[in-house]
Amino acid sequence: MKQIIKIVLSLAALIAMGLFLFMPDSKPPADGKIRLKYWMVSAMKELPFHVTEFNRTHQNIIVESTPLPWNEHEKKILTSILSENPPDVVFLVTPVAKWATRLALTPLDDLIKRDSFDSSIFFSALWDEMKFKDHIYALPLYSNSYAFFYNKRLFREAGLDPEKPPRTWNKVLEYSSKLIKKDSKGNFTQMGFIPTYGNIQTSVIMAWELGAQMLSNDGAKVSLTNKPTLDAFNWIVNFYNQYNLKDISTFVAGFGFAEQHGFISEKLGMMILDNSFPDQIKLYNKNLDYGVADIPAFEGHPPVSSTGSWWLAIPRGARNTEAAWEFMKFAVQKNIQLTEAERQKELLFPANKLAANDPAFLSLNPSNRIFVDLLEHSKTPTIVSLAHDVFWREYMGAQEKVIHKIQSPYEALKQAEKTIQMVLDETIDYDNYVRSKVQIN
Amino acid sequence: MKTQTGNKIVKSTFIYLLLSVFALFFIIPFLWILSTSLKGDAQIFTIPPQWIPENFHWDNYAKVFDRIPFLLYVKNSVFVSAIIITGTVLSSSIVAYSFACLNWPGRNILFIIVLATMMLPIQVIMIPVFVFFKEIGWLNSFKPLTLPSFLGGSAFNIFLLRQFFLSIPKDLLDSARIDGCSEFRIYWNIVLPNAKPALATVAILTFMFSWNDFLGPLIYLSDQSKGTIALGLGMFVGQYVTEWSLLMAASMLMMLPMLLIFFVFQKYFIQGFIMSGLKD
Amino acid sequence: MISIKINRFNKQQAIFGILFMMPWFIGFIIFGLYPMIMSIYYSLCRYDVLRIPQFIGFGNYEKLIFEDSYFWTSISNTLIYTVLRVPLCIIGSLLLAVLVNNAIKGVKVFRTIYFIPSIVTGVVLSVVWLWMFNPQFGLINSFLAYMGIPGPLWLLDPNWSKPSMVLMSVWSIGGGRMLVFLAALQGIPKHLYEAVDIDGGGWWAKFRNVTIPMLSPVIFLWSVLEIIFSLQVFVEAYIMTQGGPLNSTMFYNLYLYNKAFNDFEMGYASALAWLLLIISLIITVIQFRLSKKWVHYDGGLK
Repeated sequence: MKQIIKIVLSLAALIAMGLFLFMPDSKPPADGKIRLKYWMVSAMKELPFHVTEFNRTHQNIIVESTPLPWNEHEKKILTSILSENPPDVVFLVTPVAKWATRLALTPLDDLIKRDSFDSSIFFSALWDEMKFKDHIYALPLYSNSYAFFYNKRLFREAGLDPEKPPRTWNKVLEYSSKLIKKDSKGNFTQMGFIPTYGNIQTSVIMAWELGAQMLSNDGAKVSLTNKPTLDAFNWIVNFYNQYNLKDISTFVAGFGFAEQHGFISEKLGMMILDNSFPDQIKLYNKNLDYGVADIPAFEGHPPVSSTGSWWLAIPRGARNTEAAWEFMKFAVQKNIQLTEAERQKELLFPANKLAANDPAFLSLNPSNRIFVDLLEHSKTPTIVSLAHDVFWREYMGAQEKVIHKIQSPYEALKQAEKTIQMVLDETIDYDNYVRSKVQIN
Repeated sequence: MKTQTGNKIVKSTFIYLLLSVFALFFIIPFLWILSTSLKGDAQIFTIPPQWIPENFHWDNYAKVFDRIPFLLYVKNSVFVSAIIITGTVLSSSIVAYSFACLNWPGRNILFIIVLATMMLPIQVIMIPVFVFFKEIGWLNSFKPLTLPSFLGGSAFNIFLLRQFFLSIPKDLLDSARIDGCSEFRIYWNIVLPNAKPALATVAILTFMFSWNDFLGPLIYLSDQSKGTIALGLGMFVGQYVTEWSLLMAASMLMMLPMLLIFFVFQKYFIQGFIMSGLKD
Repeated sequence: MISIKINRFNKQQAIFGILFMMPWFIGFIIFGLYPMIMSIYYSLCRYDVLRIPQFIGFGNYEKLIFEDSYFWTSISNTLIYTVLRVPLCIIGSLLLAVLVNNAIKGVKVFRTIYFIPSIVTGVVLSVVWLWMFNPQFGLINSFLAYMGIPGPLWLLDPNWSKPSMVLMSVWSIGGGRMLVFLAALQGIPKHLYEAVDIDGGGWWAKFRNVTIPMLSPVIFLWSVLEIIFSLQVFVEAYIMTQGGPLNSTMFYNLYLYNKAFNDFEMGYASALAWLLLIISLIITVIQFRLSKKWVHYDGGLK
């Protein structure tokens, strides 16, 4: 036994020394080319076209892209900035303002001015979100907007007209109950609509439709206890009153991503989904017979949607700013975006409106027209971008409490409002303090 | 007399029954992991579950390597663990030698401070240490994970080794001193070879800690290429939460070295667990 | 002659003694003393590491105690978890130890089997039990359904989430603690039990009057450690629930981690860390006070 331990210990030491010495320090070959570190928050399995095409057409710059898993991506990027070895370009989706206030991004104003970069190529709703306090920090690459998806086959089975999706929320309730199926033990095997399942909360959309203004114009006051938001919450309460919460939770616990997604697996008849889903459906269940329509509204109110973008930016302290800018300008061009949308299988909806309005793009998918219209016309209400995480955490928390009947909508929203306001006040105060002490370009 | 043997049989049957019930409780999850790791997607979601999959999907294990850079993670984990073990064994043993075998003023007070640091929650020092590593530019490298182990290892290891060194006869050391041995030679040539069981215990416990450590890599590493296996698996959960067969295959792979070490070094493994509680 | 030599030894020993404990001392300064002082300073600041600290006095502490409902939620979650886990682990592993202390054939195999889960910790443990607890396809609910019992949602039900995690930790550490108690049981002198036999006492009398008092120092030590471990619970909640449902598994350290490394509110998180230290100290002091009433140190077992 002693012998074994001796051997193992010395082996461990040897391995340690060996690895320590021969650990490749990943030094790039000295061919004089610039290596651009590009970190992408996405689940894309293949290299995006804008990377491969850039590498093909540029001799002196090589883009090395690394996918970042969604979990912890913020922490990873912020830590890399702190370690003074950040990537040269990042691809992100959370509000630009949040990153800008932490001084995590390099302002692009000078570069834009120098090259007289034309920002009118983007959907204006998307471009507006790239700004924070008179500076521009990012370029939008893809858009992210939501519409109402419904399963035509399930509609037919339930005796509903597959060409007439519900236009109002009351209709949604009605259709929803018709689409329900249960097994012999009373467990759900199919449902119509679940307002709390999905990336976007139905109640937020409802509140916006009813005209909720959740953030004051100067961006300093949060309001959640307004009538529209309360009405939206009451609708959710009303929905859950009709079902057993445990049954719905068990049903939803069986969902996952891709093939197991609730809508893609045809367990759910109606859902609000983003513009990446036509492609996902093609990939994971191409026999799914679905329709896309405007998100329903309350009687007498216009429908709204939520739009946002996946954007490119240069982190603070990046080494190759010029090359990064070159790459960003390249990626958002019309012809690149168009070819990319044609070639790639998933997750691409151009932020460049010239590309999105091109007949070649519109013909790719019948629902593309709907999403383009949404981007052109719907105005996205502002979310509390400075306290973005806290806003969503609190909002979801309030909704959860209401669904579990722990608090009334007013109590829950009041408490959330208070917490968000507190964080927002502090964020603004800290930001002002830093700006008073440090020169910010 | 007859009833007594009868009683004995009843009693031992009862004990075996209890023992078996608990054994099932402890062992079944392992079989379940193994079974799930070999199933295809369709077989996972069946009610009632199948224990022995219809056909064995050994490719799940290959898929793990395909989906995440598992080999790289293993290499990183081995590298980090090896350095931490080396650092901990060397530094905690030399410190323990100082506390156990050498006489110097203030020794007892400092030893109490060593013990007191065991009580200090890592959270209190975590943030300033993070800022410290940022200031010296060590973030996103293995240095914050490995190099601190050369500075004393942990208080617990010092304590454990000190207890063991105290049991080495003083005469042995003194006669070496009279022979003119330097203190370092005594430590290296006499004390360490005599303390192999304790060192093995420290090495195994340290390996177990560093192999499974999640918080350290989570905080300090940001490059994908620098992930350790625990971090990789943790992130895998977030990304592919429903691919249970792959998750279980990855878990099996991560458990494997621990299981191997357990069966080879059972004695030291168990000793470590008991020593950590019994002596004082 | 000899005394002179010893003196020379002593001087030499003092030099080497201090030299040899230097690694620890330097480590203590860098990773103990300095961070503690800085942590106090940060706890009085707003600080996100990306920007400069802004001194705000006791603002963080005031906000924590008077305005932050998460703080109180996380404390009560952690305490409930501790109260559930510590007695269950101690009593459970003690009973297991008594059981495997029976000198019958094959008992060593059972000891090994019980111990194996102890090597599964952290991420793997959480991943594996996440699957075990799956309400539809997990092992536990499949088994319950087979028995005709509708299983709960486990981790998805705010009332069951903490008990679920306790069950998981009993599985993972029960065997390890069992060995500790087993070693202590085997150290109890036989004549104490024989004395009970002479008095005509049964197994209960033996357990009550010999086993428990003789084991009390070990039980006490492990209840102190177990409480400290329970207050530190983090990885399980991080991997399995991220604090949900309804914040029912938002444990103290998870909240602290979120504040520090999600929101990058390092000042606030430092204040949280200090309050945790104070809470643990208070609990430990209370335990030591109470221990005088029930722990027998005169049993000869150390």
